[in-house]
Amino acid sequence: MAAARTEGWRRTLRDPALFATVITFLDGGQITLGNLVAILRDGNHRQAFWNSLLLAALVGLCGTGLGFLYAFAAVRANLSRAWITALDAASLLPLVSPPFTSAIAMIFSFGPRGLITYHLLGIKGFTVYGLHSTLFSETLTYFPIAYLTLKPILAAIDPNVEDMAFSLGSSRWRVFRTVTLPLTVPGLANAFLLLFAASLADFATPLILAGNSFPVLPTQAYLQITGLFDLKGGAVLSFVLLVPALVVYLLQRYWVSRKYYVTITGKVGALTTIKSLAPWARAPLLSACLLLAGVILYFYVLLFYASVVVALGANHAWTWRHYQVIFTEGLKAIRDTLAIAGAGMPLGGLYGILLGYLVAKKIFPGRQAMEIVSMINYSLPGTIVGIAYLIAFNDPPIVLTGTGLIIVACYVFRYSPTGIRATVALLQQIDPSIEEASQGLGAGSGTTFRRITLPLILPAFFAGLGVVFIRSMTAISATIFLVSINWTLITVRILENMTELSLGPAAAFSILVVVIVFVVIAAISGLLRRFRTPGALEVTSILGG
Amino acid sequence: MPRFGSWLSRLAIPFLAACVLGWGAAPAVAADTVNAYSIWPENWARPMFQEFERATGIKVNFVRFSSGEALARVIAEKNNPRVDVLFGGPVETHAAGIKEGIFEPYKPPTFNVLPPRFRHPEGQWVAIADDPLVFMSNTKFLKEHNLKAPASWADLLDPAYKNMIQMADARTSGTAVTRIFSVLEVYGRDEEKAFDFMKKLRPNVQLYTKSGGGGTLPVGLGQAGAGIFFIVDALDTKAKGYDVAISFPKEGIGTSAEAIALLKGAKNPELGKKLIDWAASPAMQSLFAKYKINFVPAHPEVKIEPSLAEVLKGAKIFPIDDAFAGANRKRIVERWINEVLNPK
Repeated sequence: MAAARTEGWRRTLRDPALFATVITFLDGGQITLGNLVAILRDGNHRQAFWNSLLLAALVGLCGTGLGFLYAFAAVRANLSRAWITALDAASLLPLVSPPFTSAIAMIFSFGPRGLITYHLLGIKGFTVYGLHSTLFSETLTYFPIAYLTLKPILAAIDPNVEDMAFSLGSSRWRVFRTVTLPLTVPGLANAFLLLFAASLADFATPLILAGNSFPVLPTQAYLQITGLFDLKGGAVLSFVLLVPALVVYLLQRYWVSRKYYVTITGKVGALTTIKSLAPWARAPLLSACLLLAGVILYFYVLLFYASVVVALGANHAWTWRHYQVIFTEGLKAIRDTLAIAGAGMPLGGLYGILLGYLVAKKIFPGRQAMEIVSMINYSLPGTIVGIAYLIAFNDPPIVLTGTGLIIVACYVFRYSPTGIRATVALLQQIDPSIEEASQGLGAGSGTTFRRITLPLILPAFFAGLGVVFIRSMTAISATIFLVSINWTLITVRILENMTELSLGPAAAFSILVVVIVFVVIAAISGLLRRFRTPGALEVTSILGG
Repeated sequence: MPRFGSWLSRLAIPFLAACVLGWGAAPAVAADTVNAYSIWPENWARPMFQEFERATGIKVNFVRFSSGEALARVIAEKNNPRVDVLFGGPVETHAAGIKEGIFEPYKPPTFNVLPPRFRHPEGQWVAIADDPLVFMSNTKFLKEHNLKAPASWADLLDPAYKNMIQMADARTSGTAVTRIFSVLEVYGRDEEKAFDFMKKLRPNVQLYTKSGGGGTLPVGLGQAGAGIFFIVDALDTKAKGYDVAISFPKEGIGTSAEAIALLKGAKNPELGKKLIDWAASPAMQSLFAKYKINFVPAHPEVKIEPSLAEVLKGAKIFPIDDAFAGANRKRIVERWINEVLNPK
């Protein structure tokens, strides 16, 4: 361990996974497989492992499906601007709030005395804890990632391409199946991978909703560390999670790389109306989207209600007291969080497009390893990332614990894969002939990058920046170990408030986070429109591209 | 979402600028500041620390963590401690820390006045409060099932409670460990009988919660029928306005001391010692009543607040034997995980 610490600090900044690996195989200075074997032999851990895989796969499938539905409706249903804004706003809500807020709303709604199950439907003895509610909550929380990944990809498919198929006599279903769907395959694979990884790393939702009958590994790892003070055991459990994350990543890469999907050719055809959706299909599609938006809105109305009554379920007198509390006692947390998110935002955006560009464009040795490492950083349970950062930077030569910088670094490295993958996905859609044309006209590679490639991948920059900002405002699992006397975070305060039975301040903090993130996102999108290079890709959403 | 209107972007530029400026302004640290991790919830720790500052002029800079998180953090920071004092938390947290060598023994002036169970013989920790367990049930649930508030451990086995009891998970919660050792005491430390009871109780348990007070809100709302909690959490639920009944088993129930400890390698040991002196004395413990904190004071000269004394009247409460619990904690918790939580 001591050797690992002195040698490991340098690489841990980039790769806490490596650190987890080192701890996994080091047992008193001797490399051993014993730790891993001991874990695999334990029936409960094996069960938790399979449960995690099942949950992640289901969340990936359901979330990607919902995301596609939403994106298809937004892009192909000829919706008015007001409609799209409403869809965007509803889908953003789960993304911009701490993950456990929807879990708490679930407990209120679906328990033995839940608002919906008991008071509305009259069901007695409904069990809220288990796979069904964890899946439901995680799908609702993470499907916006799929939506934001798929929407720009669908939007980038030139309707003229579909038109050609129509004019050749294809039916709508055939066009959807043979043109639209194959063109979105890289997006679907990306979305599934992101959701799978997000679910695999989420410990907060199962902690509240999975109950005792459906243990999952991230929660077990968290309990192993915080409950049994067993850092090594927690690291081993987390390490086991790397294997499925890696397998899905490789599968997706192998599968996607065989598809050919250049749609931005630079040869602009005449604008055409979108007719890929049959009139009869429009109503059910929109109803499904509205239902989903309704469920999300209901959760957040409940949350808002909890923030303006004295005590939800006991005393429903109106009060602003909880907001007074968070703006006096909680002011430091608000200030710290804003400062950290503000610093991490531009860094995360830059890091995302730089790495994404390197991965997609320049063939250099180790680029795959680089991409894999950055994905692992994202799919590793936050608990172990947090502990790894804490140990690596507590002792000289680099002492960072207790600073705001360590939290910023953690957010930037952990949440940049969205930007990286958005960059890669966008670059793969750009015909190399555009850049070749620029170079053919005498522009250097620097000029070509600045004038051609950069404007085209600018949406990815803002996607990366937006996600880092949102995560800085909402994530908890890694940074719960990195907050300190000097730097604290709103999300940590929310979790504390919940365990302290102060539901009101917790709800008020959550509402505040949602409002701040909405304002900042709207502001970035305003800026983006002002500075947009003429002729660049239409920016449909600053998060998705 | 460009459609939100550009007036928002006009608002946002100064906002973003404020973020960047806020980043530069490092928090100022006064000369007389002691740093602490508090396991007590912030709404109890904050008034205590404000009173301490008023009394001594020393400011307490603190963050709150649950006992498991606080201990994991202190152990991880062992070589370069960030705080001087670990404040509050059930004593088994501190007992687990002794093995890791994270504490600096210190005996405050009140050390010899405290009953032996409220102090570690070498001064690794001292107690600042006592916290008995209670049964807490939802009044409406009791009425619906024609039940009286449980007055015996066996009452909890009633089929009416099936899937309706919440209590803490022994892997993370000191509350749970105290509860399991209570059951052991009730059965005269006959492990077989005690575990037999816990296994019989298992079908009635809806959820083992991460934190000790995790089940109080579900019980308050009626999502669960009853639970076993520390008295501070139970009385706090009642004070919030939830309709709950508090009762004690006639066989008796355990209590756990809340402790404070000085960390080895603390940067401000003298200030830390002053905080311990104050917390282990009537100066702090007589303030519990003023701030409606329902801990039982550890110092024998501080009177129990009358309404708390009323709740405790007639209750059979026994201390958990420190040496026995320390020696058997790991084994018992593992057995609980294997036989009660995840029965084969």
